[in-house]
Amino acid sequence: MLQDGSTQLLCLTASSGVPLFTRGASKQLPFSVIGSLNGVHMFGGGQGALLSSCETEGGGKVVWKVFHDSVMLIAVSGGGSSGACSGAEMSRLQRLLENVWSCMVLVLGQDELVNLRNIERLKRDLRSCFCLIDQLLEEKHQGVLGNLTHCADSLVPPNPTPLQEALDGFAQAADSEFGCLFVHGRIVVATEKWWRLAPQEVVLLCALVRTLSASGSASCDYPVFLPQGSPTVAHRLLHFQLLPGADVCVLCGPTPSLQKAETELVGRLWSPLIETLRSCLAVGERCLPGSVPLRPDVLALLLINRETRRSVSCVQISSHHPLSDSSLSKSRCWELLELFYIFSISRYFTQDETLCGSPEESTQSSHTEDFLHGFSHQPQQCYLVTEDCKCYGFQTQQHQFFLLMLPSVPTFALRTVATQTLTDIISATAF
Amino acid sequence: MMARVTPGAFIVPDWHRCKDSKEYFNKIIQKKNRKNFGLLESPVMPPHAAVDTLDYKVFISGKSGVGKTALAARLAGLNIPSVHHETTGIQTTVVYWPVKLRENGRVLFFRLQLWDCGENALRRFDHLLPSCKEQVDAVLFLFSFTDRTSFQDLSNQMTKWTESTDCLVKVVVGTKFDLFMHCDVAERDVRKFQETWRLPVFHSGGEVSDRLGDVAPILNCLAENLWHQDCVRAGAAGRQQQHKTRTLP
Ligand SMILES: Nc1nc2c(ncn2[C@@H]2O[C@H](COP(=O)(O)OP(=O)(O)O)[C@@H](O)[C@H]2O)c(=O)[nH]1
Ligand SMILES: [Mg+2]
Repeated sequence: MLQDGSTQLLCLTASSGVPLFTRGASKQLPFSVIGSLNGVHMFGGGQGALLSSCETEGGGKVVWKVFHDSVMLIAVSGGGSSGACSGAEMSRLQRLLENVWSCMVLVLGQDELVNLRNIERLKRDLRSCFCLIDQLLEEKHQGVLGNLTHCADSLVPPNPTPLQEALDGFAQAADSEFGCLFVHGRIVVATEKWWRLAPQEVVLLCALVRTLSASGSASCDYPVFLPQGSPTVAHRLLHFQLLPGADVCVLCGPTPSLQKAETELVGRLWSPLIETLRSCLAVGERCLPGSVPLRPDVLALLLINRETRRSVSCVQISSHHPLSDSSLSKSRCWELLELFYIFSISRYFTQDETLCGSPEESTQSSHTEDFLHGFSHQPQQCYLVTEDCKCYGFQTQQHQFFLLMLPSVPTFALRTVATQTLTDIISATAF
Repeated sequence: MMARVTPGAFIVPDWHRCKDSKEYFNKIIQKKNRKNFGLLESPVMPPHAAVDTLDYKVFISGKSGVGKTALAARLAGLNIPSVHHETTGIQTTVVYWPVKLRENGRVLFFRLQLWDCGENALRRFDHLLPSCKEQVDAVLFLFSFTDRTSFQDLSNQMTKWTESTDCLVKVVVGTKFDLFMHCDVAERDVRKFQETWRLPVFHSGGEVSDRLGDVAPILNCLAENLWHQDCVRAGAAGRQQQHKTRTLP
């Protein structure tokens, strides 16, 4: 139906199938196909059957989901090229639909989406969501995995304490309990209440801040609804670019005004930390401070803290590597890391969905369950050897850890290297 | 309404082309591109050449899709987004611009903070417009050369803004001038408008060049009119310390 590897998103009214918008894929599906996709779902509904996904002969996949009996989202993927197994691709699409719906609520609020009074107006208002939705559809977010893991991409600074204090003080001065500091689009520190937002909300807010930050704007006042915490009442997200690449945001009520917060609080409370912020910026995409040693044969890693729902990830490509004649590019490494994560959690490990708090999401882990039913136990470690790299993943009560290494690492040593690397990171950062 | 300022009456016109401006403009340029300053930063001159920085708030007005966000990015030398995404709240962009006063050769950095807010967001959320209007110093009124209604709506908008305050610099910018194949607004009409309202009108559009000449006319015009407005406000005494100056380093 579509080109390999591309994903198209359709949004229609659930009751009458009026198209609200389509995004993604350069070549749009013909209107007749869109009509049929809606029709076949409706037909199922009439027969008391809920159509949730299907696969075409060519490896294309379609996923349907109706939200609050009012809006239907359909994701269509051309399938194939990425090499992901079909179950993993299905869960990616299901996750995508959840995320897109959350984006729509974040920007427009649930009321407007559930009470469809004026379709034309809704269509126009929905355009406000495209920026975020397009970001979700874009395949390459190098170094940012939150949309997939529903964990907050983090950067561990060399010295978090003064930053935490400054952030707490700043949030308080702005009459807010929810504050967060970002460096290179990843969370450095956040207020305690921020971590009590639903993990999915945290990930969405991070995505929003990244788009604001990438636009180069100095400050923003964005109305946002929290899909789970406050779907019908808007809060204000105030965002400030302290330094290029270093952003702070707070969720506020009616006060203070953007101007007041900026002129009276930002300079006063953050100027003393300018050097600390610069040292965070210097950590760069490694996301781990220099005090954490990484073996040179490590290509990439993803570490998830299952309790705090935070993650750190990095790709380490040293071009003049003595051991490596590997021609893996940085972006290919990110892609492989992503694929290995999907592979592991869709086959062996569980994704901690229950913590997401959304009952709607429980359906999507069904693929995992189907597969796991074949086991009499819950796997805790897995490895994968490919031509490009060797991968090792394992989980503990507290962490999930995914490591990509050079093919030159002996397979029998993978487990030791992985365990040691995790120990090194945790003892240096307490992540 | 304030008397119209003749371009070049108060500041040295095209100063970015003069040799003596180089050390100042170098502070807003990094590797041939415009430098993006975070809120904690500002251009810093060596101690012997220190200059004052004057802070102004400029609101960008115009209907959805005319090119408000694109113009803000253009003036700041940022990447212009190629796809139109509705701005769903207030977004501000900071532009530093050095200016040389004519009368005494004094150099000043103008810090223009451009306030851009999506029209849909303004309509949906009541608190945004007051926030944009709070202590605003200037308004850029935008119309698009490819959309006649946006041009016809100008006077409407201008009246709306003049009612609330008369101490306001107003500048008009016609966007998408590069799309002359789709031009929907005649030069003649623009001239007529300019004469009626006695306001500066600029044309904008096309590829962003890394040269300053692209944005200099608009920024110089804003700076000059803001300076003049301050002089008028301060009773022709010139802009002294009483106005809000930057407190950041
Ligand atoms: N060719 C051309 N396109 C422009 C110009 N200004 C804006 N655009 C395009 O018009 C669309 C809307 O611009 P935008 O700044 O987002 O409009 P806003 O809604 O007023 O903020 C975008 O796709 C821009 O790329 C211009 O001067 N020339
Ligand atoms: Mg805009």
